[in-house]
This record gives sequence, C-alpha cells and structure tokens, in this order.
Amino acid sequence: MVEVQPTRMELIKLKRRIQMAKRGHALLKMKRDGLIMEFRTILEDAKAVIEEMIKKYEVAREKLALAMAVDGAIAVKSIALACHAEPKFTMKRKNIMGVVVPVIKREKVRRSVYERDYGIIGTSARLDEAVSAYEELVDAILEVAELETTLKRLIEEIERTKRRVNALEYKVIPEMEEAAKFISFKLEEMDRENIIRLKKIKTKKAKEQQ
Amino acid sequence: MLRKIIRKPRAAEWAYIVARVRVMKRKLIPKDEYNKLLNMDLNEIIRYLEESEYKNEINELAIRYSGVELLDYALYLNLTRTYRKLVRISKGLPREMIVDYLRKWDFWNLKNIIRGKMFGFPKEEIEKTLVPAGEFDEEFWKMLLARESVEDIIKEFAKKPYYPILEELARACPISEFEDRLDKFYYTSLASIHSDNIDIMYFVDFIRMEIDIKNVKTLLRLKLEGASPEEIAAKIIPKGYQLSESELRKLAAMDYEDMLKNLENYWFSEAVKQIKDQPLSKIEVFFDKVWAKRVLSRANHFPLSILPVLAFILMKKIEVDNLRIIARGKAEGMSAEEIKEQLVVV
Repeated sequence: MVEVQPTRMELIKLKRRIQMAKRGHALLKMKRDGLIMEFRTILEDAKAVIEEMIKKYEVAREKLALAMAVDGAIAVKSIALACHAEPKFTMKRKNIMGVVVPVIKREKVRRSVYERDYGIIGTSARLDEAVSAYEELVDAILEVAELETTLKRLIEEIERTKRRVNALEYKVIPEMEEAAKFISFKLEEMDRENIIRLKKIKTKKAKEQQ
Repeated sequence: MLRKIIRKPRAAEWAYIVARVRVMKRKLIPKDEYNKLLNMDLNEIIRYLEESEYKNEINELAIRYSGVELLDYALYLNLTRTYRKLVRISKGLPREMIVDYLRKWDFWNLKNIIRGKMFGFPKEEIEKTLVPAGEFDEEFWKMLLARESVEDIIKEFAKKPYYPILEELARACPISEFEDRLDKFYYTSLASIHSDNIDIMYFVDFIRMEIDIKNVKTLLRLKLEGASPEEIAAKIIPKGYQLSESELRKLAAMDYEDMLKNLENYWFSEAVKQIKDQPLSKIEVFFDKVWAKRVLSRANHFPLSILPVLAFILMKKIEVDNLRIIARGKAEGMSAEEIKEQLVVV
C-alpha cells in the first residue's frame, strides 16, 4: 500500500498522475505494437539476407575447395599473402520509434580482378573465382551484421517497453488508483467525522443556551 | 642467360638428357591409373602414392603434416626434387635451357616473399609457399626471408636483368603491376632470343606457345570481368606464337561472341570450340589440355631436342596437379565427375 497523505491536494495530484500514467500506458502500448511490427518487417529482410549469406558461404567454400585442389594450397596461400585490406565501413544512426539503430555505410569489398593486389598473368581464373566468392561473402556478412544489430536493439527496446507497459498496467496505475481510492475514502471519512463533530458541537451549544 | 651461348650443342648432349628423361617419364603415372585413383578414398590414395615415386617425400613430411596437407607438400617437394635432378643431370645448352625455363619458380618465390613481407605476414607462413625448383636453392630463399625489409631483399638481385623492375617496386609501384611485369619479363626475355640454332628455335617456339596460352586465358578472364580493351592490353605478354600483341588488342576490343569466333582461327581452336557457356575454371582446363597435347606431339616429332625435356617438365607438373585435384577433391566431397572435369589427362 502506498503511503500517502490523505489530503485533497494529494488526491488532485494523484488523479493527475493516474491520468498521465494511463496516457503514457496507451502510448507505450502503441510504441510496443509499432516496434513489434517493425521487428517483423526487418526479421523478414534478415531471413532473406541470412539465407543469401549461407548460399554465398556454400559457393565460396566450393570455389575455395576447387582452387585448393587445382592450383594447390601453396598457390592459395600465396594469393592470401596479397590480401591485406580490411573491410572499411562507417557507422551511422537511424531512429526507429525512438530506438537508435546502426546503419552501416560500407565500401564494397568486391573488387574486379584487375584491381586486386596480385598479378593476373601468374594466377588462374579459379583463384579469381574463389577470391570473388569470398569478397561477396564478406559483403553479405556485413549486411547481416547490420540487420542483426538492428534486430537486437529492437528486441531490447521491445522488452523494455513491454516491462514498462506491464509495470504501468499491473503495478503503477492500480497502486495509484488504490491510493486515490484510499484518500477519497479517508476524505469522506474525515468529512463525515467533521459533520458529526459539528452536529455534536451544535447540540452542545443548544443545550448550554437552554 | 641463354642468349650468351653461341656454340652448337653436340648431338650426344641431347641423346644423353633425352634418354635420362625418357626413363624418368616412364615413372609418371599412366593415364589409365587416374580412373582407379578416382574410385579410391583419400587414405587409399595416400597408400597408393606411398608405393610410388612419392614415397620418400610422404615419409619425410609425415612428421609435420597429415591428410591432404601432407599430400600437397609431398607432391610439391617431389616436383622440386625432380626439376633439380633434371638440372643436375644435364649440361651445356640443354642445362641452360632447363634452368632458364625453370626460372619461373624463382619468380614465383620472389613474388611470394615480397608479397608476404610487404603485407607483414610471418616468416613461417611465407616459407610454406616457396617452391625452390628454379635457379636458387632453398637456402638462398631462407636467407632472403631473413631479410628485414623489401629493399634489403631487392638489393640481393642487383646484378640480375630484372633488377630495374624490382627497383621500381621499391618506388611504390602497385604490387599487382609489379608481379605482372615480372611475369612479362620472364616470358619476353625467353621469347626474344634470336638464334639460327634450331635447338634454340624449338625452345623459343615452346615459350611463345605458352605465351599464347597465357594471353588467351588472360583475355578471357578480363573480358568476362568487363575490363576495358586498354586494361586488357596492359596485361598482354608480347611475342606470342600466333597471337601477336596487335591481334590481341583487336580481340580485346571485340564483343565476347565475336572474340570467340576469331579465336577459332588459332592453333588452340580445339579448346575455343568447347568454351560455350562454361565457367572460366573449366575453360582454363580446356586450354591446358590442348597445350599439353601440342607439347607432347611436338616432342614426338623432334625427339633429339629440348622438346622432350620440356614436355616432361610439363607432364610432371600436370601429374602433380592431377594427383592433388583427386586427393583434395575427394577430401572436399567433390563428385568423381567434377574431379574428372578438372583433370588434364593426355
């Protein structure tokens, strides 16, 4: 039970807070539903992107296996010595219903054969195919990373909003309503007591005058 | 270098090296055996090779490696030893030619060391990529690996004719361009040898045919990648056998279909006819097959020349590649059909 001063002022304040809490509850409920809808949409996109990434991984593995088989592990290792660049990306922010989610602006990892750091004449098309497949895979991984972070942030926010909605619905509002009820009751009680006290004083005075 | 040799080789020199090569060639795995190997699993393949020419290398490396990796390194070690044996048993002009041809492995090692050093890879990683089958032995490459900087490595080649290319790399030439220039230097320096000596002419023709194969592969690769004619022209090795630089430039400017039609007019037309809608990885195998066939037939036509030796060098490399394709293919779960498509069996 909330400890409150059973005053009229307190009751007015409490009623105001209840009204505000109810409005906040309705808004948070709307936010939660909105976030869930947004989550579902992004989840669908994420599913497609993850599936695409898995496919690219399979292709990359096959291409690498072929390059390792035909050109040999030594040739593949030799080409790997020419790969020093790490994927470059910049993080930006996007606001989805108050949730700040990352937007990864990335430079394409996939490069054309003649832009790579190894010679063309001394290498084979199988190595190119393996390198291209892995470059595409890295691109897909970055895309999945972006969507996965967005989903994680949305889930966290949905959870947080859900907790707030439940706290308002089942704890804060009922407790405040109970407190308001208590104050009203107390005030009525005090009114009744006052009336009786006044009546008694009135009767006493009347008796003294007689 | 070869161009310094002016004397004619004695017929006995050819007879000796060709006879030795013929014996070595007999030890190559016969083509029917590949069908048997295709039906074996990886352990059976290793056991089969343990009873073959590769026995010593497999036993030697079994302490450090296992499975497919063991095979990979054992095959390369055997290839290196076979090539070094060829250099050891030959003398005079044949030796010069063999050393000059095998120098491609020196360029391979040099490129790997520079690449690795430039991008800060550990010494052990770079060492794994070395194949000391050329002019310089393992000790030389290890000594080079111990050098701290790329500049120190380059200085070791100060007296070599390709030093200017290396020097330019030190002056911030992109590594890919440097590698291509080194490969171009290797081929053009061999293809530019002018001589009335018929033995040297056979050798030069062989190199020029290899240039054709390299060029046509580059052309197809870059064309499919959407490179511009100028970009393709920059990667062309001059002095091809039938495909001249200007012809290649014309081909580079054509659209893909027209280019294929025109390529049918050259000695490798058999490979070009099979290209239709095939991936590049398969197309390269078609050219390798045609190349190997041509080399073998020329070696049979001119038995007392450098050609049987060069054919053996090529066939040995093909054997090593085929064995690795089968073993790796099996280990990676490729179907027998897929593996077969990548084999060069002639």
